[in-house]
Parts: sequence; structure tokens; C-alpha cells
Amino acid sequence: MSENAKKDYLCEAVPPFTIATAMEEASRCLLCLDAPCSQDCPAGTNPGDFIRAIRFRNFKGAAEIIRTNNVLGGICARVCPYEVLCEEACSRTGIDKPIQIGRLQRFATDYEKASGFEPLEKVEATKEKVAMIGSGPASLTCGAELAQKGYAVTIFEEKAIPGGVLSYGVVPARLPQYIVDEEIELVKSLGVDIVCNTKIGKDKSIEDLKNDGYKAFFIGAGIQAPKMLNIPGTDLDGVTNAVEYLGSAKPSNGKIEPGSKVVVIGGGDVAMDCATTSRQIGSEKTMILYRRTREEAPAHKIEMSYVEELGVHMHYGFTPEEIVGKDGKVVAIKGKGFRDDSMIQLECDKVIFAIGQQPDDSVKSIADIKFSPKNTIVADEEEDCKTDVPYIFAGGDIVNGGKTVVQAVAVGKTAAESIEAYLSKEAK
Amino acid sequence: MNKRKHADLSVDFLGFKCENPFMLSSSPVAANYEMCSKFLEAGGGGVVFKTIGTYIPDECSPRFDHVRKEGQPFLGFKNMEQISDHPYEENMHFLRQLKKDYPTKCLIVSIMGSNEEDWTKLAKDVTEAGADIIECNFSCPQMTQENMGSDVGANIELIEKFTKATLAGTDVPIMLKMTPNIELMEVPATAAIKAGGHAIAAINTIKAITHIDLDQMTALPVVNGKSSVSGYSGAAAKPIALRFIANMKQDPFLKDIPISGIGGIETWEDCAEFISLGCTNLQFTTSVMQYGFRVVEDMISGLSIWMEEKGYKSIDDFCGKALNNIVPAEDLERDFKVYPKIDYDKCVGCGRCYISCFDGAHQAITWDAENRKVEIDEDKCVGCQLCLHVCPVADCITPGKVVFKPEDQFGLGSEAKYVEGGPNKRDIIVGQYDE
Repeated sequence: MSENAKKDYLCEAVPPFTIATAMEEASRCLLCLDAPCSQDCPAGTNPGDFIRAIRFRNFKGAAEIIRTNNVLGGICARVCPYEVLCEEACSRTGIDKPIQIGRLQRFATDYEKASGFEPLEKVEATKEKVAMIGSGPASLTCGAELAQKGYAVTIFEEKAIPGGVLSYGVVPARLPQYIVDEEIELVKSLGVDIVCNTKIGKDKSIEDLKNDGYKAFFIGAGIQAPKMLNIPGTDLDGVTNAVEYLGSAKPSNGKIEPGSKVVVIGGGDVAMDCATTSRQIGSEKTMILYRRTREEAPAHKIEMSYVEELGVHMHYGFTPEEIVGKDGKVVAIKGKGFRDDSMIQLECDKVIFAIGQQPDDSVKSIADIKFSPKNTIVADEEEDCKTDVPYIFAGGDIVNGGKTVVQAVAVGKTAAESIEAYLSKEAK
Repeated sequence: MNKRKHADLSVDFLGFKCENPFMLSSSPVAANYEMCSKFLEAGGGGVVFKTIGTYIPDECSPRFDHVRKEGQPFLGFKNMEQISDHPYEENMHFLRQLKKDYPTKCLIVSIMGSNEEDWTKLAKDVTEAGADIIECNFSCPQMTQENMGSDVGANIELIEKFTKATLAGTDVPIMLKMTPNIELMEVPATAAIKAGGHAIAAINTIKAITHIDLDQMTALPVVNGKSSVSGYSGAAAKPIALRFIANMKQDPFLKDIPISGIGGIETWEDCAEFISLGCTNLQFTTSVMQYGFRVVEDMISGLSIWMEEKGYKSIDDFCGKALNNIVPAEDLERDFKVYPKIDYDKCVGCGRCYISCFDGAHQAITWDAENRKVEIDEDKCVGCQLCLHVCPVADCITPGKVVFKPEDQFGLGSEAKYVEGGPNKRDIIVGQYDE
């Protein structure tokens, strides 16, 4: 059994830096003039400056740089695909290997918390009321940015716990819940109100909120409906999906029935998270069924290696054909070659679909705005997050169909600026 | 996003209200308008413009070297440059432009003459060009002419003569930059102040040979087969600078004389250390040569955050605060020892503490080879804590329990044992180690 496999479900996979090891890593940094790392951070977290601050033992200053640019800096430090963002851009790669930017960012934000340092100052809410719909990373960032500009922000969340994908999706090995909780507390400490168990479009409507005095809206509702394949056997007992599986495992600290022999279908990070979870909460055997090759899998290779170290069996090149049942329960899954005529049959008692998510039909009840044929909201999140209704803005997975947390942070910042511009214009 | 409000870093130095004490020292980094301007724009509180003389020196090439240890560069830096190599009038133009464009920043101008007439003329000209303060360079160790540079700083007669000559040409305060290539800086500093000087800048670079090129059998840098002794600076110079400064600040005559601290300043912590010894102005060059003017950004940010957390409202609040706790060795308490404590959860079993204790201290650590486990033998341990300094793991070895030595500690006719926490138990401050 590999070293990783021994790790508990709640234990963070990558150990933290100490001051000494962080200094060693920061000393490896070339402190480039143009800091390509900073240029490649979608959220503008500015690694060039915060690594330099660490290099000059200004650890709290490093945290200040991170937080002023990215309020969810401790979360991003853990879940960002840095190997394709800041670290890919790192000049040190030309000598040996990139600076471990994510871990340094985590060091700075951990140091901030351990020392009780508060880099951001709360601003009194003297401006208009703004509502965020959904409490994932896009809404949290947008809300925090607007609160810092003096707006009165309330986030409405349909579930019992805020955080969206952060609380219900990403596995604790990558993102422990206490980190999510701490950063949500940080957002709240800036004056953002979070109201849970309230689904906009069902419990309350945009019209209700307008009557309550809200002048602008940001929809960052995410996408939760699992994609399924239209094959025989999907209604059998033991067939589930990533949203359901991960979303019940994390809030219960892993206290769910893992399945004894588990097959995960898919090749993305979410599929890897499902496989990791099942192993860590006690599956006897976990297998991944993915139709293309390892090289083509969209999951980050670090995550795939981690899953492989956990002893997960990877079956590449097969597409599911039928889930076989007995007495209403899953007993096996059959697959056929995606590019040839190979056949495979895997004995299992649990099948988890992790082939992506899509918006469900209920999103249309949130607001009467323009949707794409795929049920995503039509808005330009790179530019201004505007929908076809002037006071409604949208961004994150509900617009882009599903991207990264750091992309959601970037969008949250864009939306906040756009909302500020809109409300300042209206106020005149 | 809104940062916390930063602490007030402003400081009065010789009557000039500086927004912060961070200044470029007189050196290659403050050689023209463009450099000084870029530093001031980055947040610096002022500059000490590179030494202006009455002639242009002929410089050698190459002229720098640096010392590494275990791969870490710039532990110390050697430099052979002399005074400004810009024409006199051009320098005066730079000064006028700097004062015009940055009226609120402190413009200190370093000068160096070879005789009294030179010093008076230089003082007069740079004052007219806008200098807020003049720094007399009595200390450059690589000058090629007699009666210049560190020759002056080691010669009381010249110090008095040139200080007076400078005062004759100006009405702005003057500061004397001292050489560390002597034993006691109090002596020349006192002479300079008695002659009418207003402040001391310390230290200039230390005379040094950094490396020998073993193929060419000469020192570095190699100038066509030859090299020279010249000034050494950077991190390695800091402890020496702090010593000279503490000595001056504890001298009854000099204690209230303002000091501009110089020597290996790179981080905000370095800055805080110099201030804690009484400096109200800070100068640096080597860190800028290695990393650029941007080093000042983390000095401003880091020092502000720290001051705010400590509740220091101004630089004055902690300026000189460490001086009372630096006492002669004979005044230290010696009736207790602090045992090291090993955290076995953190210990990686490398045995480094065992090696250092055996070969470099008191053979007070045992080594269990089979289990790779070290243990402290309290009978032999003297509490020197060498183990703590060599341990590569953060917080693995820390100061542990304090025991008082028996009254008859050398065992002359007594069986007294060490008594933990007694007989005269009191709080012992054992120091902090953060890595």
C-alpha cells in the first residue's frame, strides 16, 4: 500500500511548508522583472509580489498581497491547477523545475491565520443592496469585492451550508472543509450576509428581492445536474453520480456507504475526486472507466498520479454499454472499446457517473433572462458579466458550463466592477 | 480590496521630516537622477547621493565579487568602486532636479575632498544645489589617493580638520560616515562631533579579500592578473555594523547623537533591528544591487505591519529599545542553564545534533544507531544549545526546562544536584526561535 493510501479521508494530501522550507522555496524564485507567474493568474493573485515578500521575510505582507487580490487565496492555493497557470509560466523551469507557487500561497495564508493577522479592513455599507444568488466561489468573491466597495451584500444559498462546489464538491484531501469555513467567515467579516436554505425562484423571487430594496443581482448558481448516459441499468440500486456521492461524503466527514467494489465513469478531476473519496472512506476496490487514453484525460496529471497511488485500477479506452443488475441491485458493468472492438466486464456494487454536470431546468425560474440552448446563462464573463437585463449579472459555471475555482474568482472580481459601474451610473 | 491602514513610519532626522527612514546609501545605486528618482517613486524616504569629489576616478574592470555558502549567493559582497564618475556640473544638475521634483524627500549628498579647500567648496556647492543634509565620506576603503577615504576615518587630526572645513561651506546639518576598519568607533565619532558634526553614519564597508583564484593565484575580482583589498558589505556586515552602533549609542558622550545605520540591510526585520539600537535613518546598497529598488516595498509593508501589531505608533516608540538589554558580558546572569528539548514527533533522526554536540560541544547527546534516536544526557549537557542551532527541522529542538546550578557547582566537597526551578526560582526568558 502506498504512503498516500494510508491517509485519512479528512487529511490534506500535500503537507504544509514551515518557515524554513518556505524560505528555501522562495529563495529558489528568480524574482523575475516581469513575473510571468503573475501574468498567468486569472484572478490576479500576484504571485510575483507575494513570493518576493516571503523572500524578504514579510510573511504578513505576502498575505496582504494575496487577500487584497483574491479573498479566497487560501482556497485557490489548494485547488488551483497551478501546473497549467502560474507554475507553467515560471522562469525557473528553464533551470530545473517551477517554484511551488501554490504551496507558498498556502504558507502565506496559513501564516496569516496562525498569527491572527487581518489584512483586510471592513468598509461600512453605505451604498445600495446587492444580492448574490448561489454561494460558490464566484458569488463569495463578487460579494466580498462589493462589500469592500461599500455595498450591502447578501448571498442567498439554497443548501444548508454555503460554499457551493467548495463545500459539496472538492474532496478534503485537496480542500479541507475548515479552510472553506474560515474563508467564508472572512467574507462574512467584511460585512457580507449569507442566507442559507433559500432558493431563489422557489422560496423567494427576484421580484421579492427587488421589493426588499435590492438594486442589482449576481447569479453564480453553479451547475448541479449530473450528466448521465442513456444505457440500460442506470436505474439500478447502486448507481449514483459525482454530485450526489461527493456532496454527501464531504458534509458528513466521509460517513457514507463507500461501496465495496466501485466503478467511477469519467476522466476529469471530479472522477478522480470520486475515486479518491471511495478509497479513503473504505472501498475494497475502486476502478475508473474512461473512454479515451490517459494522455487525453482532462484530469490534472498530479491528481491522476495521486489516484493511482491510492491503488485505483484505471481502465482506459472503454465506454460503458450496460449496467448489469440482479434483484434490482448493480452487480457488474459492461463496456466496449471506444476505438476498437474490445470488451470489458467489471464486477461491482456501485457505479458513479462523473462525466460532467449541466444546469437543471430550475435555473430558468431564477430570473427571466436569456439562456443558451444548453440552459446556461448568456453573459460575457470575460468582459462585464452582463445579462440581457441591466440589473442582473451572471458568471461562473452557470455561464461557462463548468471551469475552475480560480476562474470563478476572476469572474467574481469582473462582476463586482461591472455592478459598481452600473450602480454608480444609476445613482447619478 | 482595502488593506489595513499602515503605521506611521515618518521620522525626524536632523530636522528633516522623512516619510520613512529608508534611504539608498551613497554608492553605485544612487549615482544619478534616474536611479534616485526610481527609488523615491518605489517609496524610499530619501537618498544619499553617491559621493561627489573634485576629480573623476578611473575605475577598474571587473570590480565586484560575492561570497556564497551552501549555494546561497551574496552572503557578502565586495566592491572596488570609488566616488562618483559623473562630471561635477552634471552631478549638481542631478541634485537640483531631485530637490525640485521631490521636495518632500530627504536629499542627503555625500562628499569627499582631498584637502580643506575641497571640502569647503564641495559643501558650499551641494548646499546650493539643494542638499538637505551633507554626508562626509571619511571611510571609503578603496580610494587610490592619500588622505582620502578610510584613511581619514582612522585619523583624528584629519577628521577634525575636514569636519570643520565642511562646516565652513554650509549651514545644513552634516553627518560623518565612519570606517569599521578600526577597533573603537567611539573615538573618531567623538572627534567628529566635537569638531561640530551633527550625526554619524555607520558603517562603511569592511576591508576584505573575498576569494583567491587558485589557478591565477590572485584575489577576486581579477584585474588583469592582479586584485586589491577593498570594501566588503551585505548580510555578512550586519552583525559588525550593529556592534559598532550599539557601542556608540551606549557611549555617554555620543548616546544622543543621531545615527544613520548601514550594513547588510535587506529585510524589514533588519531595519527594525537597526532602529532598536537607536538608528533614526537607514541606508542600504547591497540588497539593491542584488534585487533592485523594490526591496523598499517590503521594508515599508513589513515594518508597518509589525509596528501596528506591536502597538508602536511611531518609529520613536521602539527606537533604541534594545540598548538597555545589551550589557557587558560580566553582567550576564550565570547561575542557571536552559536544557534543549527534543520533539520526537518532528525529529527525522538525522543525527546532526549528535555530531555537533560530540565534535563541537560537550558529548551530551547519545545516539541509538538502531532506532536513529538521539537523547540528551542531562548530566553532561551545559545548556549551550548548539544542537538547536544545527537542527535542520523547524521547532524540533527548542529551549526546554531551566535549572539553577548548585551553589557548589564545581563539586568541591558537596553532592549538590541541579535543582529544577530552584532554589531561587524566577522567570527566565529563554529566547525565541521561529525556524
